Amino acid sequence: MKYTPRLPKSNVNVTPTSMLREFFVLTLSLLAIVIVIYILLGFAVDLIVPRISTDLETKMSELFIRSVDAEDIDSEWRGYVQSLVEDLQKRCTKLPYPFKVHVREASSVNALAFPGGHIIVFTGLLGKITSENELAFAFAHEMGHYANRDHLRGVGRAFVFITISTFLFGTDSNISQMLAHALNITELSFSRKQETRADAFALDILNCAYGNVAGATDFLKRLPKEQDPGTIGHYFASHPENLKRISDLNKIIRDKGFKPAGKKPLPKIVQQ
Amino acid sequence: MYNLLFFITLIAVGYLAGTFAERYHYRSIHLREKMFINLPAVTMKTVDYPDDKIKSAELVYGSAVISIDYFKRFTASLRNIFGGTVKSYESLIDRARREALLRMKEMAGDSRMIVNVRIETSTIGRNANKKGVGCLEAIAYGTALTLA
Repeated sequence: MKYTPRLPKSNVNVTPTSMLREFFVLTLSLLAIVIVIYILLGFAVDLIVPRISTDLETKMSELFIRSVDAEDIDSEWRGYVQSLVEDLQKRCTKLPYPFKVHVREASSVNALAFPGGHIIVFTGLLGKITSENELAFAFAHEMGHYANRDHLRGVGRAFVFITISTFLFGTDSNISQMLAHALNITELSFSRKQETRADAFALDILNCAYGNVAGATDFLKRLPKEQDPGTIGHYFASHPENLKRISDLNKIIRDKGFKPAGKKPLPKIVQQ
Repeated sequence: MYNLLFFITLIAVGYLAGTFAERYHYRSIHLREKMFINLPAVTMKTVDYPDDKIKSAELVYGSAVISIDYFKRFTASLRNIFGGTVKSYESLIDRARREALLRMKEMAGDSRMIVNVRIETSTIGRNANKKGVGCLEAIAYGTALTLA
C-alpha cells in the first residue's frame, strides 16, 4: 500500500458558521421563549387572581408577614393611622380585608399594598403630610389596589418570572440575580391603568368619608420637585407622571361634582 | 445594571480574546501540518516491512490542553437549553486533537512513520470553581518506527 501525503481540503469537524451568529440566534430565541411564557403566565395570573378568596390570600400572607412585622417601628403615628384606616373601611369601603397598617422607617415617599390587607407606609410619606384628608387619600388609594386586587397581580407575575429565570440559569447565576433585582422594582409597582383606577376609587372614598375631596391633589402637587418619575433614576416607575395624575383627578372631581374644600387638620399627637 | 455591564464585558472579552487565540493557533497548526506531511501517522497495527528492516520502535505521544473562553461557555450553555450540535466547542476539540497529533509527530523526530495511533480526550479543571469553566485535554500516542 502506498502512502500518499496530502492535507484535507476542508475541516469537516468544525461547522463553518460564525460563533456570533450562533450566540445571537440562541440568545434571541431564549428571550422570545421567556417573553411568550411570561405573557401566557400573565394571562394565567389574570385568570386566577379574581378567583383567589380573601381567606386564602390572608393565609398565604401569613407565610411572610412575620418579616414585615419585624420591621415595624413604634411611633405616635401607629394608632392614628390604624384607626383612620379602620374608620374608612367601616364607613365607606366595606372591603373584605382586615386592614393592618405597618409604619416603617424609610425616606421613600410611598405606601405599599401587601397581600392580606397589610398596608406598609413609610415615614418619608408621613413626614410630608399636612392634613388628615391627604393621608386618607393615600390610604384610600392603596385600598383601591385591594379593591381591584392589583397587589396580587403584581406579586404573581414577579414570582412567575423569577421562577423562570432560576429554572433556566440557577439561583446563584448573575442573570437570575439581575432579573430578580429589576423585577422587584417593575413588578411591585403598578401599571398606569391600575393607578388611575385606584385614584378614582380613592376619590369616592374620600368624598364618602368627609363629604368633600379636599387634599386629594395637595400631596401630589408637592411631589414633582423631589420625585418626578420622568427622570432616568425612576426609569422603572410606572406611576403616571404626577401632573398627568393631578389633571386626571381634577377631571373626575369636576365630572362627579365633588366639593374640593374643607380640610381637616392632623391631630395634635402627630404634629411635630 | 452593574451586573449586566460586567456580564457583557466578560462576554466581549471572551469573544475577542478567544477568536484571536483561535486564529493564531489555527495558523500555526496549518503551518506545522504542512511541515510534517511526510511523516505518516496511521491507525494500522502492522506494517509490511520485514522485521530486520525496522531499526527501532518506540512510544511517542503528544498532549495539548485548551481552555474554554467565557463566550464559548455561555453560547454552549444556551445550546444546552435547545439541544443540537454544540458548535462553539467543536473548534476547541479540533484544535486540541490536531495539536496533540502534531506534538506527537514532533516527538517522533526522524522516525519513518508512526503506527497504531490513538487519540483520547478528557476534561480537566471542570469543577475547579462553581462557574464550571473547564479545560480540554487531548492526548495522541502511537508507535514510532525507525527504518534501517
